Amino acid sequence: MRSKIDKILLITLLIAFSVSIYLIFLWVPQIKASNPAEQIAQRIFYFHVPSAWLGFLAFFVVFCGSVAYLATRNRKYELISVASAEIGVLFISLVLITGPIWAKPVWGIWWTWDVRLTSSLILWLIYVAFLMLRRYLPDGSKRANLSAVVGIIGFTDVPIVYYSIRWWETQHPKAVMASSEGSLAAPMFFAFMFSLATFTLLYVYLIRKRYQLLTLEDTLNKQFKEMEIL
Amino acid sequence: MMRTAISILKKDLRMEFRSKESILAMWIFSLLIFVIFNFTFEVSRLVMLEIAPGLLWVAFVFSGMFGLNQSFALEKENGNLRAMALMPVDGGQIYVGKFFSVTIIMLMFEALIFPIFVIFYDLQLSLGMFRLIPVLLAGTIGFTSLGTILSAVAVHTRNQQILLSLLLWPLVSPIIIWSVTLTGMVLSGEVTEAFYPLLVRVGAFDVIFFTLSYMLFDFILED
Repeated sequence: MRSKIDKILLITLLIAFSVSIYLIFLWVPQIKASNPAEQIAQRIFYFHVPSAWLGFLAFFVVFCGSVAYLATRNRKYELISVASAEIGVLFISLVLITGPIWAKPVWGIWWTWDVRLTSSLILWLIYVAFLMLRRYLPDGSKRANLSAVVGIIGFTDVPIVYYSIRWWETQHPKAVMASSEGSLAAPMFFAFMFSLATFTLLYVYLIRKRYQLLTLEDTLNKQFKEMEIL
Repeated sequence: MMRTAISILKKDLRMEFRSKESILAMWIFSLLIFVIFNFTFEVSRLVMLEIAPGLLWVAFVFSGMFGLNQSFALEKENGNLRAMALMPVDGGQIYVGKFFSVTIIMLMFEALIFPIFVIFYDLQLSLGMFRLIPVLLAGTIGFTSLGTILSAVAVHTRNQQILLSLLLWPLVSPIIIWSVTLTGMVLSGEVTEAFYPLLVRVGAFDVIFFTLSYMLFDFILED
């Protein structure tokens, strides 16, 4: 199962991660902040935001996989959605962990019921429930159908959840890329984009690996069943 | 065309009116929530008024789970679920029938518990309170439209009841958040201009959830 592409991906990832860590911790200039802790904590941004992006990307893939499964009944798409949901939950967990680590020195609190924090937590809960549902169902086409339905409803709900909490005042830093005043300095922007690209590559690698593993499990299960029949 | 939906609705309502199982359980459970809440949070009357809308919806959501769980669990008992799946009709019709029966039962329960709520928390009744009717209607429909399809999903698992809560609550949280806001506006008598747009928004999402569930329901029934 060890394809050439995986090997190339892995080596590229190792190099890219070393470079991003160098960029993030040594190359990017210190931000100007009155609080010295904030200067250091700010660097978590290069991990926090790409993780969040990866989470959304992963859940979008769950949605696409679910639609594709219901349309074609090809088990491949079911496995892709599952692999993607697992990775999404992992990275949203990282978002929920890195966020408070930053918030404690800067805001003085670990957690606040703010738009982004709350919607990320709800998002996490939706996909944890998705994975739990699969745990509670026996393998088969029923499970595939049910989880595809939940995968579709879950993703449709994501913008609604975000929208519903928006009227609360937000403490969360604005999207720095979009606003004109708080735009990133050139080196920061470069480091951020590099980190984003590295994380996206990591997603590609992880989903390939997880998908291969799931197919292997499938083949193994099939062989066990055949042996039982004999 | 909607004959199947109507017969399912009739059957469910007849069963409910004979046994009164769901409504009674929901009503008593809500009463318990009010009582427990009173003991766990000893707050002044002013604070109570502020949290009353939230409390009301906590009671609705928690009790509503009874009705939702029951809705498909009953069908499963005698293999009726399989029979339904075998029926040569569109799965969407079964969804519509189930949705209306759950919604009607829940609305009746809400109508029965609301007077108790008014008495317990000493709310001042006024004509403006009639605005609560569309709010409860919109919030409940949002809750049951998603709840009905997820109940049909959860009924296939070993841990039906806990799984339904895990699936439904995060998904339905936007509807509940808005409904609490709207209910708060009505109960405090401070209905601002934001009231109607927000109500329309809840209604719009009800339509989205309902349509989506209607379209997807076929996939849940098939084996």
